[in-house]
Amino acid sequence: MDALLANLGLGFQVAFSLQNLWYCFIGVFLGTMIGVLPGIGPVATIAMLLPITFNLPPVAALIMLAGIYYGASYGGSTTAILVNLPGESSSVVTCMDGYQMGKQGRAGPALAIAAIGSFFAGCVGTFLIALFGPPLAELAFEFGAAEYFSMMVLGLVAAVVLASGSLVKAIAMIVVGLLFGIIGTDVNSGVARYSFGISELTDGIGFVSVAMGMFGFAEIISNLEQKQANRDENQISKVHSLMPTKDDLKRSVGPILRGTVIGTIFGILPGSHTVISAFSSYTLEKKLAKDPSRFGKGAIEGVAGPESANNAAAQTGFIPLLTLGIPTGAVMALMVGAMTIQGIAPGPQVMTQKPDLFWGMIASMWIGNAMLVILNLPLIGLWVKFLTIPYRLLFPGIALFCCIGAYSINNSPMEVYLAAAFGLFGYFAVKWACEPAPLLLGFVLGPLMEENLRRAMLISRGDPSVFVTRPISAGLLGTALFLLILIMAPVIRKKRDEVLVEGD
Amino acid sequence: MALKVRDKKNLYAGIMFGAIAAIFILGARSYPMGTAVRMGPAYFPTWLGWILAGLAVLILIEAFVADGHDPRPTQWRPLGLILGSVVLFALLVGPLTNYVGGLVPATFLIVVMSALGGDDFKWKEVIPLAIGLTIATVLIFVNGLGLPFKLFPWS
Repeated sequence: MDALLANLGLGFQVAFSLQNLWYCFIGVFLGTMIGVLPGIGPVATIAMLLPITFNLPPVAALIMLAGIYYGASYGGSTTAILVNLPGESSSVVTCMDGYQMGKQGRAGPALAIAAIGSFFAGCVGTFLIALFGPPLAELAFEFGAAEYFSMMVLGLVAAVVLASGSLVKAIAMIVVGLLFGIIGTDVNSGVARYSFGISELTDGIGFVSVAMGMFGFAEIISNLEQKQANRDENQISKVHSLMPTKDDLKRSVGPILRGTVIGTIFGILPGSHTVISAFSSYTLEKKLAKDPSRFGKGAIEGVAGPESANNAAAQTGFIPLLTLGIPTGAVMALMVGAMTIQGIAPGPQVMTQKPDLFWGMIASMWIGNAMLVILNLPLIGLWVKFLTIPYRLLFPGIALFCCIGAYSINNSPMEVYLAAAFGLFGYFAVKWACEPAPLLLGFVLGPLMEENLRRAMLISRGDPSVFVTRPISAGLLGTALFLLILIMAPVIRKKRDEVLVEGD
Repeated sequence: MALKVRDKKNLYAGIMFGAIAAIFILGARSYPMGTAVRMGPAYFPTWLGWILAGLAVLILIEAFVADGHDPRPTQWRPLGLILGSVVLFALLVGPLTNYVGGLVPATFLIVVMSALGGDDFKWKEVIPLAIGLTIATVLIFVNGLGLPFKLFPWS
């Protein structure tokens, strides 16, 4: 406990420096600003804002990115409540009752409760990271190459099990991501793989180009395809007063607590679980309610629970990243990329070698969550104005900023061409019902997986049974297999489709 | 029983994955394969390629047995104009920067050209938008963040 306090003390010392507070603020502010814009999800927001962190010192850059992430998520909820346009799949749940509350003139309390619930869940999540981070990292030091490989397999399987749509196609997208990820010079042999004689490709494809292409350009094109009329149908709810009534608060306490627990549990598991935790929380609240018929018609419990669950899961999702170096979703994959650009290899060694960075980031998570509440509630009027900007004036700017971002990675037009190519690929992939998120995850994990597979096989002298004879590795692979079998089971499959199709 | 495509999305997706698998498997043939103990650069991509090929076959089979909606028809105008404007931007700040390019013309043109991809383009809106975004870009990225862009071909 003393160590925990000392560590947190160090963290707050780092995070409370004027400079880092300022970057945290800028991150939350910009993240919310871009996040509220309809049609831009958190992944696109982070990818777009990533370049402005390139020139910062590592601690400041990561603090700012975490701020951008919270801002973007909260911005997404704001859009969901005010215009019924979910920016990401986890906001779909918020739309159901949040937008109804907005239509009844109660958008203010919905936004306030969403912020309070998120803040509470964020605090709990941050504390859990501080508590479980060090012991988990200790465990991670015990991991050999075989365990890492199996852990990544489990992470990838867990990510697709909960993806919407076809399981086979999601796995195929992962494999494509893994393959794209290993393009470039092979570290062991020095062979430039799949560079097709293009010198820039020997350094590999930048993950920013992939993210911007698949989540930036491809999304713009898909949005433009859907008729304008569709987009303008949604009326923006007016925000009268932010103050929740006593009754609102009383109704929200339980859902916030339960949502936080649900989100925390789902978040720690490998795989990206914000959607499933939001849905689980909603379902639970509906089951527990005295009058379930109020749900879908503006029940505040339907906002409080899922928003807390969503944020708790988003927060605890940092645990596998910071302790094992394994991203659990598209957003975490972006964080890995950002850390790599800053010259930090994510993993358990970050905690021991760069304690100021690790604990500073954790402290700034809490500060970021607090800033969300302090900043966003007074600024809600400004965000509403942003919401009224029509999409036709937005997308040229998004395209422009994505281009500048891609270019500035290496100051080379190659990354921009690649982003355009991934835009084309992403557009058709989505059209043919293949999710882009698993690809990004595979892309980040590709080189890591190959490296660990190589090492494991070298140590075992080419005997593949090493993955099942080492107990931790066997356990991880067994869990992955169990998840796959579980999802094939007809009953669960049906349930999963029900939940996720609703989410589309 | 005649074979009939019942889900075009799966058909196209299957072909796409199959093609990617083929590129990677064939591409790996020019690199040393190595052994399971000492994997060469071709080992991992070849195996992944075959896994992907297997998945592609599964998806193709599904295309013939399970019904699905047709994908939305492709609208080439937004697709071409958006991606075209991106490539144009890259050309103008990249290889053409000393001739006709530079950040200012590149920014202005990407905004106008991508806006043409939308379905209600108005010059009255787009020109001020392009001017505004150009000024903002120069202020934020060049003056503010110090990115090394050339503003005009002659600068």
